[in-house]
Amino acid sequence: MKLRWIGLALTALLVAGGCASTPQDSGGGSGGAGSSGILKVGTVDYIDTLNPFIAIESQAYNAFVMIYPQLVQYGPGLEVEGDWAKSWENTPDGLKWTFHLEPGVKWSDGEPMTAADAAWTGNTIIKYGDGPTAVFADVLNHIKKFSAPDDETLVIEYEEPIGNVLAQLEQFFIFPKHVWSQYLGDKGKDLKTFQPEKDLPTVAGGAYFIDQYEKKGTTVYKPNPEFYGPESNAEAVALIYYTNSTSMIADLRAGTLDWIESVPTNALETLESESGITVDSTGSSQVDNITFNVNPVKPQNRELLDPKVREALEYATDRQEIVDVVHNGHAKPWANLISSQSGDFVNPDVKPLPYDPDKANQILDSLGYEMKNGVRWAPATSGKYAQPAHPMSYEVIVPSSLNYNGDRNFEIIKDNWAQVGVEVKLKPGGDTAQAYALETAGDYTKFDLATWNWVGYIDPDFMLSVVTKGQWYSWNDTGYNDPSYDRMYEKQATLVDPQERRDLVWEMQAKLGRERPYIHTVQEEIIMAYRDEWSGIYPDLGAYCKCYYTSPKKTQ
Amino acid sequence: MRGADYLIKRTGAALLTVFVAITLNFVLFRAVPGSAITALRCQHCTKQFKAALEKELGLDKPMLQQYTIYLGNLAQGDLGTSLVDRRPVWQNLKGPILNTLPMLAVATIVSIVIGVAAGVMSAWRRGTKVDRINTWTALSFYAMPTQWIGLMIVFYVALRFGFPVAGIRDPTLGILGEPSTWTVINDRIRHLILPALTLGIGLYGEYALIVRSSMLETLGEDYVLTARAKGLKNLRIVYRHGLRNAMLPLVTLIALSFGYILAGAIVIEEVFSYPGIGLATIDAIDRRDYPVLQGAFLLLTLTVIFFNFVADLLYFKLDPRVTA
Amino acid sequence: MTMEAVPPPGGTVAAPVHSNQSRRGALRRLLAGDRQALVGTVVLALFVAVAVAAPVLSPYSPTAKVGDVYGRPSPAHWLGLDDGGIDMLTLLIWGARVSLLVGFAASLMAMLIGGTVGILSGYMGGKTDTVLMRVTDYFLVIPDVPLMIVVAAIWGQSLFNIVVIIAVIYWTSTARLIRSQVKSVREQVYVKRARSLGASNARLIIKHVLPQVTPLLVANTVLTVATAIFAETYIAFLGLGDPSQVSWGKLIQNSLTGGAIFSDAWWAIVPPGICVTLVILACTMVGQSMEDAMNPRLKVGHLSVHRFRLRSFPREPGGV
Repeated sequence: MKLRWIGLALTALLVAGGCASTPQDSGGGSGGAGSSGILKVGTVDYIDTLNPFIAIESQAYNAFVMIYPQLVQYGPGLEVEGDWAKSWENTPDGLKWTFHLEPGVKWSDGEPMTAADAAWTGNTIIKYGDGPTAVFADVLNHIKKFSAPDDETLVIEYEEPIGNVLAQLEQFFIFPKHVWSQYLGDKGKDLKTFQPEKDLPTVAGGAYFIDQYEKKGTTVYKPNPEFYGPESNAEAVALIYYTNSTSMIADLRAGTLDWIESVPTNALETLESESGITVDSTGSSQVDNITFNVNPVKPQNRELLDPKVREALEYATDRQEIVDVVHNGHAKPWANLISSQSGDFVNPDVKPLPYDPDKANQILDSLGYEMKNGVRWAPATSGKYAQPAHPMSYEVIVPSSLNYNGDRNFEIIKDNWAQVGVEVKLKPGGDTAQAYALETAGDYTKFDLATWNWVGYIDPDFMLSVVTKGQWYSWNDTGYNDPSYDRMYEKQATLVDPQERRDLVWEMQAKLGRERPYIHTVQEEIIMAYRDEWSGIYPDLGAYCKCYYTSPKKTQ
Repeated sequence: MRGADYLIKRTGAALLTVFVAITLNFVLFRAVPGSAITALRCQHCTKQFKAALEKELGLDKPMLQQYTIYLGNLAQGDLGTSLVDRRPVWQNLKGPILNTLPMLAVATIVSIVIGVAAGVMSAWRRGTKVDRINTWTALSFYAMPTQWIGLMIVFYVALRFGFPVAGIRDPTLGILGEPSTWTVINDRIRHLILPALTLGIGLYGEYALIVRSSMLETLGEDYVLTARAKGLKNLRIVYRHGLRNAMLPLVTLIALSFGYILAGAIVIEEVFSYPGIGLATIDAIDRRDYPVLQGAFLLLTLTVIFFNFVADLLYFKLDPRVTA
Repeated sequence: MTMEAVPPPGGTVAAPVHSNQSRRGALRRLLAGDRQALVGTVVLALFVAVAVAAPVLSPYSPTAKVGDVYGRPSPAHWLGLDDGGIDMLTLLIWGARVSLLVGFAASLMAMLIGGTVGILSGYMGGKTDTVLMRVTDYFLVIPDVPLMIVVAAIWGQSLFNIVVIIAVIYWTSTARLIRSQVKSVREQVYVKRARSLGASNARLIIKHVLPQVTPLLVANTVLTVATAIFAETYIAFLGLGDPSQVSWGKLIQNSLTGGAIFSDAWWAIVPPGICVTLVILACTMVGQSMEDAMNPRLKVGHLSVHRFRLRSFPREPGGV
């Protein structure tokens, strides 16, 4: 759910229509592989699990990019390039795509790595798409089937032509059939219970295999000797988890760390003034939000189901204060589900409402929620979902795994909303899995509010999917369930004409903007810092490219 | 009351407390609203999965039966299985415990050393400014929240002098080949020293005071005063005599302080990102991994019981007039 | 987790008070005569006054952003601003409320529980005594911080839960102390006489035992306040405090999560700890002086280790 892709605000390049291309050499430098020692990366985001079917954290997705082969990836400049696939072509009707894979490759355990693995992975995901493999189901939407006519050729057949083939396939990981096919029991449910972390080193086909995994410790990536692509400059990559950013920054300054992926904004000044450290501020695709439970059969606090109430609450939210206090100015007010990384796909008409508590009060007054002692009361209702009169007082789930100060963020919202008579209480959400389970509890009937964030991709497809019914219990955290939206989602992927697709995507955003299952608050900048001895660091390619880890090399 | 009687009685009491601890531990974690499983949240925890897990862990059986099974498992050293990673609880806890122990040991040594030094100095210079400053310093440090001492040390000491402030070791040691034993030891010590120092400083206060007061008793005696008047030659005798008097209460106190040391260790681990039993407990909470939590809690309780029992025995030696 | 040590040097010690003299008088004489107790009381009273007067006293609102994140101390903001741009001095003043409230409430509850158990145990003796002491034994060995963690996780993080859990962990020493006191009172002649005259147990307890025991109870409660405040900082630091309340413990936690260290913001780190230390020291001074003055036996038994542990030791000196 929380994929964190660090990216520049460049227009996504989609390769639509027939087009063959050859992979670029992504970034590796000269100097000999493994000459750079260990690349020590510090993070406060942990890899929640090595099982791709249940992982939520973006750090886990980064791991999958590193250890599993993909057909294509994003290279420097955020251009699609081949990963395992050297070249590809498609039939003019767009119904059949053929990928030519690097031949003679093996998995890290010596087993041959062939197109059959890719086909098996793809077909398995499709087969169990309604269940255990749902997290990847939308990635392979509209695909009829995968087949492997020979060891190095993969053929994908589509039900209808879609407009973002490569962008979608960039999210597709290929798993070793000889390892994973043992876990198809119980209608594929075993896929979700298999723990690769118990079986280290992982069997890998990408640039690295994972030799050591500690969820809240150090994860070690070692170069996969069988890797088909450019070798890693670093002899190993150590991803070191910190429970607090104070120690992480101290270690960077001391030289114990080489690279911090996400610097807390109030450490910027200190780091910028330090010689030996480079600070790089990148645009980002992380959008923070206030999540509403908009499941229409939610039994309590049903006044929150009224879009007008949510609109009032948006007026009541001071985004600038969040920008200033929580992100030290390194963010901007934002109202869109899709981040600016998606370029043209962002609907410019969906804008943040101005901070206007008076307007908010006006709306809430007009809806009949009277103020009593500073808190508004929702009157009793009758009918199927009758509730007694009750104060507008809610619990907000705040996960402990946020990469910004969630408490501070909450305090601002609490203060803002108190001005319009709405009271909120912080409910600690626990880690990602816990918090998500709180949201899905009782089939999305138990929670009212949460604060969280999304990290999207360049192609908007993934972000648009998180509010579909198909992603219930998978990526959907709002309980949003609108068949007309779902139809639009299905359709947009199939539109080959970029303009048509863009228009439909804009329409979808406009709809979400009106209905507000989320109040998106800000889009964050992600700030990286690394020691000057290292070069070849691509801040925007996290979890997009294997070069993110293979390219950095020590030059001093 | 005879020594043997006392011993038997105290052993009996300790064993009873152990039994009560085990039982209440069981009850505490079954008292979770809902069962441990319904409270469990995970991405793939559908209703069927939870039902299956309940069955597998025997949580669908009647309470009494579960209790018996629990006791039986404990007797075999089985603390249960983690709900999150499905490994035995002991596997989850073993590493953290082994991480915390050296820190606790060093912290205790530090606190004893400083405590004894301060206590002796105070007793020797009783009533003077030195005594007053010493005692108030000791009291003050004891009153300071241990985590705050830690933060101050990180702020004013660690960063200035380049001490590592996180973790138990350099995470990259051993990735590319085996480091020498000396490197490993050096590394561990460097990581250990600040957390242990912090904990030791927060602890020494009570030791200083007990050393002081028990030495005061001896040092007030006539022969000692005479010895002092004669000069430093007898210093050593006085020290040995005075300190010996203080040793037993001191050691008893140390045994009793285990709970306090532990509490301090937990927050210190949070400050220094030290992957010990404290962080493991916090992590278990975060993940709602009740078996691990229950296991950790039980182990800690049993350890405290053990140390209190040791203190009991020492106390008997201290004051043989003790009756039942 | 506080000190019941010999009176630290510098304070004059009140004359030993005999148990059948007026206890209240002893208290007054003590406070007047013992400089240490006086200082402690004054400091404590100051903090309480500040806490009570918080709405009036605080220069700014404890939730309003009034400047930059980690703004430096200035004439307008004596202790600078925290990571939310909120005035630190205001936060400290309001934090006093929560910390002191938790301290006193938990301590009071501990006193009630411990006092009741101690009185019943000491007075009834026999089976009741044994059972209650075994129960006390168990509560003694529960590791405090892990229990707090568990309770917060299971029953939620609210101020009430925190007060209860602190009380539940720390009542034991009070119980033991009161128990030994009650036992000695029980043996006193006039109590025996009253019993032989047929007075009911309850009446005896209330009329004779309680007045003898109360001053010690009060002294012990003051000491427990220190422990409770200390415990609250631990709970808050681990993120288990009430999320809607700002206490000193929470301020210490904020300094870590808000990055005060790498922002060089000493004003966010140092003051809350100093406040906690001062209050705990003050409580210790007062409580300990009271205890020493009231119960000469305790003073004499300075070798008894139990005096140094608030969560005391299974056995009492002198064959109790």
